[in-house]
Amino acid sequence: MSAALQGWAATSARIRAIARRHAYVLWRSPHRLFDVTVWPLVDAVLFGSIAVFFARQGGGGARSVGYLLAGIVLWHVVYQAQIAVATGFLEETWSRQVLSMSVTPLREWEFVAGVAAFGLIKLLLGVGVVALAAVGFYAFEPTSLGLGVLPIMLLLLIAGWSVALFVIGLVLRFGNGAEAFAWGILFVVMPLSGVFYPVAALPAVLRPISLLLPTTHAFAAGRSLVDGAGMAWDELGLAALTTLLVSAAACAFLARMLRIFRERGYVTRYT
Amino acid sequence: MSNPDVANVLVAKGLVKRYRRGLAVDRVDLTVREGERVALLGPNGAGKTTTLLMCLGAVRPDSGSVEIVGRRLPKGRSAAMAQIGFTAGYLPLPDRIRVREYLHLYGQLYGLRRPERQVARGLERFGIPHLAEAMGTELSAGQKTLIGIVKATMHTPRLLVLDEPTASLDPEVAFRVRTGLAELCAEEGTALLVTSHNMLEVERIAERVVFLARGRVVADGPPAEVAASFGQDDLEELFLHLAQDQEAKGAPGAGRSPESSEGARL
Repeated sequence: MSAALQGWAATSARIRAIARRHAYVLWRSPHRLFDVTVWPLVDAVLFGSIAVFFARQGGGGARSVGYLLAGIVLWHVVYQAQIAVATGFLEETWSRQVLSMSVTPLREWEFVAGVAAFGLIKLLLGVGVVALAAVGFYAFEPTSLGLGVLPIMLLLLIAGWSVALFVIGLVLRFGNGAEAFAWGILFVVMPLSGVFYPVAALPAVLRPISLLLPTTHAFAAGRSLVDGAGMAWDELGLAALTTLLVSAAACAFLARMLRIFRERGYVTRYT
Repeated sequence: MSNPDVANVLVAKGLVKRYRRGLAVDRVDLTVREGERVALLGPNGAGKTTTLLMCLGAVRPDSGSVEIVGRRLPKGRSAAMAQIGFTAGYLPLPDRIRVREYLHLYGQLYGLRRPERQVARGLERFGIPHLAEAMGTELSAGQKTLIGIVKATMHTPRLLVLDEPTASLDPEVAFRVRTGLAELCAEEGTALLVTSHNMLEVERIAERVVFLARGRVVADGPPAEVAASFGQDDLEELFLHLAQDQEAKGAPGAGRSPESSEGARL
């Protein structure tokens, strides 16, 4: 084989190839833009208007508007990160490319990296739309959160990717019947994470579960910024620790599901 | 007879695969030498596809080992796959991508430094340069198969694995495929491992056939010798003989894919 790339150059080319492949998918399927334009806009208008209504009823004033708008902007970091990676894998099952890609030098982590890399562009689009709507419609000031929001966003990004790895693992194990998790799983995580309210507002029976989620602590740190109380380092530390644990668990789960996928010959589902 | 001076590009030893409802592959040994053209044959349910998928690392054997160009699977999978080209008549092209983009994508996955050149050369070799800008949705089944073969060959693999490559092709296009493959094998020394139900085609392509029945290798050798060893005139007759024999005895994995035998859907 002449002129073949080796080592990191080959790895980098494979990651770029996957990212470009998913750019084509988005470019040629305008309906896929729904996730990164329409949903963020709908969410911003929905939660922004709820916040304004309750504020006018005397329900917490500007702070409650800040909680909801900051919450929905940050939530879209998790949502867009998760949906981009999970649907990136689903796209290969829908187009029946799983076997063809399995029989190339592409490594599993390179595929995830390529999808996640292109997912960052979708994330920027989605979060950008929410933030612009929050600024334009509700005079929300994202800069008021300060630079402290960046590590929170990073942790939420990793948490979103981790959830996506769980979803991919489920699809590998159970087939496309499990793809409902790609869209549904975050609607379970969202209320438990206290995106718009402190965990104390949850029913007592749910609080212990809530505290295990990295998103819970990340959003608690985010609310501290909205309150103007500076960074809640304890919550940020817990968010980092739980993110590390959840991402390690997600990788281990995916590796286990991949092993079962190969042992049981499930690749034939996609031929 | 094997030439000890020629390297093996594929060595599979003692492959066993059991699905929940039966033994699909039972202690299969399969070796392909550099530049050799081998056909893996057998009736439906004989274990051909499972054997191929184990050789390609897509299915993990219960026991046995696979080495591709000296790389043991699964550890050396990525490096081994750089030496393999694979396509199957049943594998589709993605809809929302142009042929040139699709081939470029796989060229990059195979580590080609300048995929554009190999893409153009591959399309030329199989007489379809005019399809470069076509979308996947615009292609006929035969054209998709040809694109799949270009994808599998443009990185000049040491071993080309084709599962039912000409199943959907008319005789003229099938001839073009055979010619293109013969040219590739002659020019690059590429070895070929092919499955097909078209015995006439197998006799034209392969210099050696390996027959599977009920998950086991039942014959291995040049086509004429293998047919004669079973008292048959040609491969077609041998195929029918083995298919009837398998049906009479009951194939352990016949008609069941791994998916259906596991019943693992949600």
